Amino acid sequence: MWRYTLRRLIQGVITVWFIATATFAAMHMVPGDPLGSERATTESIRQNLEARYGLDKPVFPDQYLIFLGSMARGDFGISFTQQNRSVNDIIREAFPVSAQLGLLAVLFAALGGVLLGALTAINRNRLPDVIIMFLVILGISIPSFVFAALGQLAVVRLNDWSGQSLLPVAGWGTFQHMLLPALVLGLGTMAFLTRLMRSSMLEVVNTDYVRTARAKGVPPLRVFWRHQLRNAVLPVITVLGPAIAAITTGGFVVELVFAIPGLGRTFVEAVQQLDYTLIMGTTVFYGAFLVLMVILVDLIYGWVDPRVRLS
Amino acid sequence: MSNQARQLSAADFSPVSLRPDAQGIARPSQSYWQDAWRRLRRNRRAIASLWIVIFLLAFTLIGPLLWRVDPYAQNLDRISQPPSLAAQTLLVERGVQWEGVTLDDWPAGPSQAWLADPERGELPAPEGFEVVGDPHTLSVRLTWQPVPHAAGYQVYRNTYRPTAINELGLPLGETWAGNDVGYEDQLALTPSTYWYSITASDGLRESEQFVSIPVDVQLATTIDSALARGLIPSRDAAQAGDYVAMPANPFGTDYLGRDMLARLMYGARTSLFIGIAAPLLFVFFGTVYGAFAGFAGGRTDDFMMRIADFVIALPFLLFMILIRVASGIGPGESGIMPLLLALVVLSWPATARLVRGQILQIREEGYVQAARLLGARDHYLILRHMLPNTLGVILVTLTFAIPTAIFTEAFLSFIGMGVAPPVPSWGSMSNEGLKSMLNSPHELFFPALFISITVLAFNMLGDGLRDALDARMRSRE
Amino acid sequence: MPVKEQHDYALTVDNLEVEFDTYGGTVHAVRDVSFGLRRGKTLAIVGESGCGKSVTVQALMGLIPMPPGRITGGSARLRSAGSGPAGSGPAGSGATELIGLRERELNRIRGNRIGMIFQDPMTSLNPTMRIGDQIVETLRVHRGMSIREGFKEAERLLDRVRISEARERARQYPFEFSGGMLQRVMIAVALACSPEVLIADEPTTALDVTIQAQILDLMQALQREEGMSIILITHDLGVVARMADDVAVMYAGQIVESGSVEAIFHRGGHPYTLGLRRATPSNDPENRQQLEPIEGSPPDLFHPPVGCGYFARCPHAMQICEGSMPDPFDLHQPSAAAEGIRHSARCWLQHAQAPRTAGLNQNDAGREEP
Repeated sequence: MWRYTLRRLIQGVITVWFIATATFAAMHMVPGDPLGSERATTESIRQNLEARYGLDKPVFPDQYLIFLGSMARGDFGISFTQQNRSVNDIIREAFPVSAQLGLLAVLFAALGGVLLGALTAINRNRLPDVIIMFLVILGISIPSFVFAALGQLAVVRLNDWSGQSLLPVAGWGTFQHMLLPALVLGLGTMAFLTRLMRSSMLEVVNTDYVRTARAKGVPPLRVFWRHQLRNAVLPVITVLGPAIAAITTGGFVVELVFAIPGLGRTFVEAVQQLDYTLIMGTTVFYGAFLVLMVILVDLIYGWVDPRVRLS
Repeated sequence: MSNQARQLSAADFSPVSLRPDAQGIARPSQSYWQDAWRRLRRNRRAIASLWIVIFLLAFTLIGPLLWRVDPYAQNLDRISQPPSLAAQTLLVERGVQWEGVTLDDWPAGPSQAWLADPERGELPAPEGFEVVGDPHTLSVRLTWQPVPHAAGYQVYRNTYRPTAINELGLPLGETWAGNDVGYEDQLALTPSTYWYSITASDGLRESEQFVSIPVDVQLATTIDSALARGLIPSRDAAQAGDYVAMPANPFGTDYLGRDMLARLMYGARTSLFIGIAAPLLFVFFGTVYGAFAGFAGGRTDDFMMRIADFVIALPFLLFMILIRVASGIGPGESGIMPLLLALVVLSWPATARLVRGQILQIREEGYVQAARLLGARDHYLILRHMLPNTLGVILVTLTFAIPTAIFTEAFLSFIGMGVAPPVPSWGSMSNEGLKSMLNSPHELFFPALFISITVLAFNMLGDGLRDALDARMRSRE
Repeated sequence: MPVKEQHDYALTVDNLEVEFDTYGGTVHAVRDVSFGLRRGKTLAIVGESGCGKSVTVQALMGLIPMPPGRITGGSARLRSAGSGPAGSGPAGSGATELIGLRERELNRIRGNRIGMIFQDPMTSLNPTMRIGDQIVETLRVHRGMSIREGFKEAERLLDRVRISEARERARQYPFEFSGGMLQRVMIAVALACSPEVLIADEPTTALDVTIQAQILDLMQALQREEGMSIILITHDLGVVARMADDVAVMYAGQIVESGSVEAIFHRGGHPYTLGLRRATPSNDPENRQQLEPIEGSPPDLFHPPVGCGYFARCPHAMQICEGSMPDPFDLHQPSAAAEGIRHSARCWLQHAQAPRTAGLNQNDAGREEP
């Protein structure tokens, strides 16, 4: 297990290196070399950039090596457009917001998906199954920004109707601010997980070991928890890595629509303002974060499934 | 009935010769594709989806030929109109100024004594607040009874009935004399019902007493503008006060008065082009790549798959945007080709992995080994065994890739990083529609509906195809 | 048509009927099946795949998924030891009716009074639970043991099914075991509560031949020690010969012949029994003969034939066979009455008017000599 973890971590580092290189290459493909010092907004930033990135030296290998070196130290440089602010500072401010939102959304999607999926499987082809699967199809087919808009509309109407501000429509700060965005953010993934859990559960329901458990006289509820749910959840855990990636991605829209000062919005704004250091920093940081999440999910899976853990 | 109790004849016990049909039932054999098509046809949801897809393609390709409305033409007096079939406009002369209503026998302002009175009460709301003539989008004329001691009046407009002083809405303007009791609203309106409110002011302080009336405003066009837009053939063909027919907007208009139906059709071109072309390209590339890696095996395979793994690890949406930036597309510019390119560059590895897995699996199958033993060459194996047996999987992947690509386009356009206005795409239309969601929900609803229906149709078609093409399912039934 | 005679039965089944609703229509998987399991003995139910033998025992255990399955008739009584001669009274005097029992009550019997093992041990154990836990589960449910006690007992049980290093083994997962070892574990699970009846559904089919013998030996040894009764489902006549006291031959959802193992092997009264025998390889070098496959395939149980299910394949088929199925004919067995169970066959060839057929043991009582 320890060797496996170590191997995965080394693979992860190599992957992050690849992401950083690709980011660097993409940024230097921009016509007119955006990292050229003439793009800097003020003299002080220009000098800072030249010193920091060796902009007077050739792109390859000097600038590339300087870039890799600073990335390896976890130093993402200074923002192009926000004077005297380091990219690290900006990320440090925005990331916890996105992380909280994402965590709540993942929690919501995973719990909802597993429970609803199990519910539909046990009630296969009966009313709860039909209703939930219809909603799941809607959840998969409707883009998240529509959910976001509908959610806001619903909150506006709710507040109008009740005559007081039950839930904030947008913004950030309290737990109430997180509720609706996280719900919207998790909805698509929840629909996807529900579907997966349902098919996984249907497979498990008819397995030999469930039959064995019933033949042993194990009560239905215990069969459900110990034998069916536990085994049906395993495939769901394997897709949790991609699901987290999807939720972080979805965060872009939700953060824009709900005016949440998270990393997604920071990135979109950086692109709009062509703040290249911030773009690069955010991309590499996100990439590394996702790689770490995928590794983490794999390790969790290994811990849950003895077949993986012990081999 | 007991056996021995039955009386049986000797004939009952005469032997019967072996029946030839004892060897089992011969059923007519069906080819893989025949069988798959038969199964797909029985799947009602998949067939319905297939029809929806055909309808969408017709909507995109044939629609603009039938509905000849310019998707870019702005019509500022028909902004954010809800869907309607028939529409007509009232012709009016241009710029006829209304002189208003001024009462000669009424003082223009309050007396100094009244103003100086510290005990003076609040002015009441004017009485007799009413519309003069026909209210239309170019002009709404209002008049009311004067209020004693008033030195002027404030006119407000709102889209709903005001119930408190802070809900009167937009302050339109004011009159500067107590006997000036007429007001004309000439701010180009859209046809709807508005609530006009009025309050009196004694020159120092505005009263909180107000009166509101609803006004149904109908669409009006000046004769000059009607002529310019081709609504009437010549200046003599119509006169002020006539009604002429306007092109209908079955799906309403957007915030610039552009026809939603035409924009949806043109938007479908963008969305479906990206949604179908990109998957075709990356599924093709992924198939070739994966098949080559799987067939080559060994180190080549390892190396090729390691590259695919790297590409998969790239954060998808960030790199979609990054590639766009790298192609020199600035914010607010439309980049359909970079979007396509980015989709292809980032999406092929999943297909490559899948196809490689299939090829590796098929390579070990008994029938391929047997064919090899019989002396089959590589290209024969590929054409005869590997390709037909992976084609189903590839087709299913393609069908599921389409909704994903459509989603991605919509998503990027929505956050302003894909197709940008004025080029219509369902995503960019949703983006524009979001801003006016509260007042005219149809601007968000229709593009979102089209995205959802398309994604739904392709997803269900994919489900149907997967069930129909899955060879494991053939033996059941 | 009760089968009960003077024997002490652990379990009796009468006129069991099971149907399945499928897209193609209703499958009559089990049709009018009756048999008795003698206490302390082994009853083998033999037949080719799809003949309904597994469905029969799953119906007893309440393991048929409903829907689509449905038990449309019949009864199955589990009789406790010393409840007097069978058939002496209605269900209730020490007998428990299994068919139609509520899930709660059924769960008090399953794993407790009836244990069951299945064909494929590799898939029949929960892959994510430790072996010990899966044994303990039975003990906890029926005996209310604590986990600590349960584990002790589990180790003892593993020991009994001849698994060495039981302590370590109990803490391992199924994927760390071989197929034969897992079947031993399954036996340990099934025997945890010392059940009166063990149902073994093709327990050796998925195993290597060498392992098969070990498992069968183990079952026999445990039967001697515990005195339980075994229902053994198999299609392997070799296993039958080795294990069984009594045999029921099933074909197309019906029991076509039943009797003691010698009766079935040496005095078979149904052409299908004979066909099975001829299709089975013998390892007796003296008795080597050409193997004869039974031509054709079993009938479609969507539309079960009105007459004998074997009609289309039977080399001795007669006019009457197509239109009606006889009730069991008692076969003449002067000495066996006290020894084994009644030997009977459902074949018109046993009718007094039927022609004599070579190789077939026919009932001579009342036969008119031609």
